[in-house]
Amino acid sequence: MTPTFQQAVRTALKDAQLQTALDRGTTRSYNARLVAMAETTDAAALRRQARLARERALNRLPELLEELERNVIANGGHVLWARDAHELNQHVIALCKQHGVRRVIKGKSMVTEESELNHALEAEGIEVTESDLGEFIIQLAGERPSHIIAPMLHKTKEATARLLHEKLGMPLTDEPEAMTRFVRGVMRQKYLEADMGISGVNFAIAETGTIVTVENEGNNRLSISAPRVHVAVMGIEKVIATWEDFAVLVQLLARSATGQRLSVYNNLISGPRRPGEPDGPEHFYLIIMDNGRGRIFGTEYTESLACIRCGACLNACPVYQNIGGHAYGWVYPGPIGSIISPLLLGPTRAPALPYASSLCGACQAACPVEIAIPDLLLKLRRDLVQAGDPSLGWRVGMRVWAWMFRSPRLYRWGGKLAAWLTRLLADRAGRVRRLPPPFNGWTESRDFPVFGAPSFRERYAKRLREAQHADGVNGAH
Amino acid sequence: MPFSEAEMPERLPVTRLAPDEDLKARFVSEAERVRAHVHCVPDAQAALATLRALLTTLQAQRAVVWDEAHLPVRGVVALLDALGIARVEGDNHAVATADVGITGADAALATTGTLVLASGRGRPRMASLLVPVHIALLTEDRIVPRLEDYIAAQRAQGLRVFRTSSNVTLISGSSRTSDIEMHPVFGVHGPLALHIVLIENLRGEMPAA
Repeated sequence: MTPTFQQAVRTALKDAQLQTALDRGTTRSYNARLVAMAETTDAAALRRQARLARERALNRLPELLEELERNVIANGGHVLWARDAHELNQHVIALCKQHGVRRVIKGKSMVTEESELNHALEAEGIEVTESDLGEFIIQLAGERPSHIIAPMLHKTKEATARLLHEKLGMPLTDEPEAMTRFVRGVMRQKYLEADMGISGVNFAIAETGTIVTVENEGNNRLSISAPRVHVAVMGIEKVIATWEDFAVLVQLLARSATGQRLSVYNNLISGPRRPGEPDGPEHFYLIIMDNGRGRIFGTEYTESLACIRCGACLNACPVYQNIGGHAYGWVYPGPIGSIISPLLLGPTRAPALPYASSLCGACQAACPVEIAIPDLLLKLRRDLVQAGDPSLGWRVGMRVWAWMFRSPRLYRWGGKLAAWLTRLLADRAGRVRRLPPPFNGWTESRDFPVFGAPSFRERYAKRLREAQHADGVNGAH
Repeated sequence: MPFSEAEMPERLPVTRLAPDEDLKARFVSEAERVRAHVHCVPDAQAALATLRALLTTLQAQRAVVWDEAHLPVRGVVALLDALGIARVEGDNHAVATADVGITGADAALATTGTLVLASGRGRPRMASLLVPVHIALLTEDRIVPRLEDYIAAQRAQGLRVFRTSSNVTLISGSSRTSDIEMHPVFGVHGPLALHIVLIENLRGEMPAA
């Protein structure tokens, strides 16, 4: 990913359509969250409460997972454990064979993006259809989601219309309403034909063995109610202890994700259809996947497991707002993705991501469970430096920097030299467009400012003199 | 343990609600805000009249309906018969031909405009799901202030509903999406329209799911 992250960023910045879509999408979501959080009883206290609910769950993670398993079984369901993505896919394939499944309908699930389940099923000759509107369009386009909750945020409505026109013969339109209605029609038959519905899990409530899926479209509830088999997949970190914890978390999730008070459908699923119930699946399976999460548990990065996948940090991030989700290179984009991806994949697979941040803190301010995202990014950078072998230039540069920093005189003259150089290199608008090596990395994606004059030290010395002079005058009275 | 065990501060409900606020009025305004159509009626008689008017306007031919024992008013089946509307049940392909679904509601949450429906015997999920129009019959006494209050009530009963009902669903308005440029569109995969007939002077007689 190292060389390609820079390339991906460059491509993204030049993509006019992407820039339009990002601007429209992130602005709307960002503002919606601000309004929705402001109208609560006390946003700060609620975020604390949500954070503590997640901490309590993580503190008791092993016990809660066992309690969840017991209660899912008591409800008539089955629990399968997957150490990694491969095992998850193997479980699903085995279930398909066991139940004679030929067609699968899916609700949105980031875990199955991690495991690339669709490819695994298709390789077995099983038809998979994504039922979430955004995911369906992404699947049609053969792309990957670019946002945790708005998977096609990178697409304009014009591009969406062209895709639906070319692939499915929809009459061209630029009305999102008409496109939505068209897809609804296409999807109806899919729900009825599917033998298995696969969903993600937003929360799993240990005390009753209930899994919750949160959605707005109704596709998820249809996917898990219409077919005869329901398979729900979750990461180990999704379990929570109590229904009271659920109440605060699910409301902050809706407000942080889309600015809604509650999402339209909160589906609380406790096992398969019960005796006497007229509909619902006959079989319910919950697959609980580790895939690297256990490695994070207990380390200084444990709080990244508190994430409830609302996407607020993506919308708030100036980097995400400019490069979109695909540039991050894997399933989880944005600030939280820059933490989770290197942790789940291993640091060498995503070394650029901890640096894909200005550490401005907008992500942490937006996070409903108070994850200290900038801190974690800094720790990941530290790990990278300690683990890796920085280049000779980097090592020499840091030595020189440390040496200059220790001497006030050297620091002063170094500052003067740098100020003079920036004035020399500046263009007419007063910006440095290109720094010479070894500093050219800075100006690859941004300008360097010209040093101000007089310098801070000069101004500080002057004010000190004036103050002393004023004291002297006052003292004379 | 990764985190120090902090003392849990006293739980604060998420939504604001004035102490003297009228729950019914709040429920109506919140439900309408999320594009539900709320019809307030004084009694069972008026509820049936409203239902008749809705079904007539929709030109409904086939309906999927909760058993009358689970609806707060008697006479729904007789009304359907009188209007010549067939009741469909059974497999999903049959249910998919219905043009309306009629359900009760176990509870309603005022500050979010939410209906709570529990699946169970005589309570098909599809009546609120696989139909173009969902009509819910709700009695005013089922309205609680918030999600937190509904959960407290279930806690007092040992969380039984979550152990016995395979699908409790919280429905807040009409199905919607914001996937295309975060532009809200109503009526996606779930019902295109949600009508709530809110009956003011009637205690719900529905048995628990």
